[in-house]
Amino acid sequence: MEKKLSEMEYEEEGTVTDIEGTLRKKVAGMGIRVGKRLKMITKQPVKGPVVVVVDEANTSLGLNIAEKIIVEMKS
Amino acid sequence: MKLTIDQRWDLIDKIAKQTITFGEYRHTLKDAIGEFTVKPLTGIPIAIAVMYAFWSIFGSFAGFFTDGFFVRLFDAYWLPWLQEVFPGQGGWLYTIMVDAGGIEGGEFVLSDNCLESFGVLTSGLFVAIGVVLPAIVIFYLMLALLEDIGYMPRLAVLIDTMLHKIGLHGYAIVPTILSLGCNVPGVTATRILETKKQRFIMMTLLAIFIPCGAQIGIMQDVIPGLMGWILLYLIIGYFIFGYILNKIVPGKAPEFLIDVPPYRRPMLSNIAKKVWGRIAGFFKVAIPFVLLGAAIVGVLYQIGVIRFLGDALAPVFVGWFGVPKETAGPLIAAFLRKDLAVAQLSVIEMTEYQMITAVVLVSIYFPCVATFAMMLKEGWKELLGAMAVLAVVVFAYGGLIHLIGILLGVA
Amino acid sequence: MKVLLMGHPNVGKSVFFNRLTGANVTESNYPGTTVDFTKGYMKIDGEDVELIDVPGTFSLDPKDKAEEVAVAILYENKDVKVICVIDASKIERGVYLALEILEEGYPIVIALNMWDAAVDKNIQIDINNLQRILGVAVVPTVAISGEGIKELTSRLKEARPVEIDDIIRNAGGLT
Repeated sequence: MEKKLSEMEYEEEGTVTDIEGTLRKKVAGMGIRVGKRLKMITKQPVKGPVVVVVDEANTSLGLNIAEKIIVEMKS
Repeated sequence: MKLTIDQRWDLIDKIAKQTITFGEYRHTLKDAIGEFTVKPLTGIPIAIAVMYAFWSIFGSFAGFFTDGFFVRLFDAYWLPWLQEVFPGQGGWLYTIMVDAGGIEGGEFVLSDNCLESFGVLTSGLFVAIGVVLPAIVIFYLMLALLEDIGYMPRLAVLIDTMLHKIGLHGYAIVPTILSLGCNVPGVTATRILETKKQRFIMMTLLAIFIPCGAQIGIMQDVIPGLMGWILLYLIIGYFIFGYILNKIVPGKAPEFLIDVPPYRRPMLSNIAKKVWGRIAGFFKVAIPFVLLGAAIVGVLYQIGVIRFLGDALAPVFVGWFGVPKETAGPLIAAFLRKDLAVAQLSVIEMTEYQMITAVVLVSIYFPCVATFAMMLKEGWKELLGAMAVLAVVVFAYGGLIHLIGILLGVA
Repeated sequence: MKVLLMGHPNVGKSVFFNRLTGANVTESNYPGTTVDFTKGYMKIDGEDVELIDVPGTFSLDPKDKAEEVAVAILYENKDVKVICVIDASKIERGVYLALEILEEGYPIVIALNMWDAAVDKNIQIDINNLQRILGVAVVPTVAISGEGIKELTSRLKEARPVEIDDIIRNAGGLT
């Protein structure tokens, strides 16, 4: 099942399948790319940012950015 | 040859497969604390506790050195000694450098403390060394500790939602907190924001609503009981005008994308180096300006400019802002040093609410000259824009505070 | 000779810089801010080497003004060597930045910093193989204790520009 990163729930894991074009460049240096596994660790309330783990590193993304990243959920 | 992003990652995956093996990894206590402090349910109370602790330590440390040591040193030894040895008592040089004195029962008397004497070598030095130095030292020490431990990015994540409403994002907490020490490095730190719009909003808000460590230090010393109200007014103003600026300033406000590094054990030598660098930088700016500020204000008093301005601006001060016209002098001094201005305000007779209004005005009415110069470096268009916003804010917000006072029946 | 110290934010770059340089360090602007860079000198084989602590950046596609400064410093200085500081436990995204710098034609050495943390996390890195594939010196370091720093500076002179095609070939080709 595919989801937007912004819709993932706490502790869920998945593999990135798509990143919106212009965003690719921006997140590439932080290790977020198509084919990468990531795990959600926190979601702030009231449309706040999410924090995910990629390659042992924690990265925080604003909700509008997280909406542009599609993740295939680990079943 | 240059690779595309996908090719580069493809290559890295190939290399990683041949060179790295990830073994079994158990979550450590450090990781647990790391997550604990960024999850909203636990992280927000912890953030509030951290800020509260920061504030309490700041207040008690600065108070301990200022009241326990410097006040006695300056008032009991330095001031009487200087009053004694400085030649030409009553003359203009004496008035500006040492003591303007006062009239009591029709007779000229010397001041008995360094806040009322208004001299360059007395009030000026006392404010710079006795009040501001302890405040700045403890502030930068604690800030360096929070930075080196790795707490700041977590704070940024937690506060992102709030700052998002004013066109900024969580990382704006870094320039904001840095400005609480001194606005000058705060303005420089706005460079971590992405767009011109964000940097403009941040810079304008810093210059207007964030009181610097020098000002906080002196408030802590002379009007500790009113500080809460003053800060509350400033914080509310920060968000109100941030919200408005976000609506009217054209441009993009991109979102938050930051790395949240693991906690680390801070290195003492690194902290010492950082704190020392900041204090040295601060004093290079502060000492000359505080002394120069005291001198200029002294001269302006002597030649009657301040009395003239006070009279000329009286309708605005008394009618619109609801503060005594004597505040004109300190407001002029505030352009050079806000700490000095607050010290001067503290000895003018007025009600508590007038004092709150006057100190808020000192904070918002103009950035100190060092900040002004720093903003000019970022571009004169931005500076002009910020000044226009500032003029509106001073009148609108100053009037609003007066109105609130009238409605509450305290003005 | 001039050397740039580059890497992500929070990889211990400043600690490196403080260890490598002596007393005559100059900050270009107001001290203590995150953006402005620091310059200092170190001695390698009796030669004075200028070392610049470049602000941390995740890639050469800058996201903000601080990263713009980092990229600008790199492009301004053509005739330099780069020490690329990588967090050993987050090696993949570190290599991303290293590759970008190599693609620009700069000679580099890689410091795999916080090596102790990677060991604690049970991450094993085949240094020799990594050096073979990339064609650059890779030195495990722990900046806080000073481990590996001597080796790093002594291997700076090996640094040569590398053809990306060679790296691709050594890695077994792209998909």
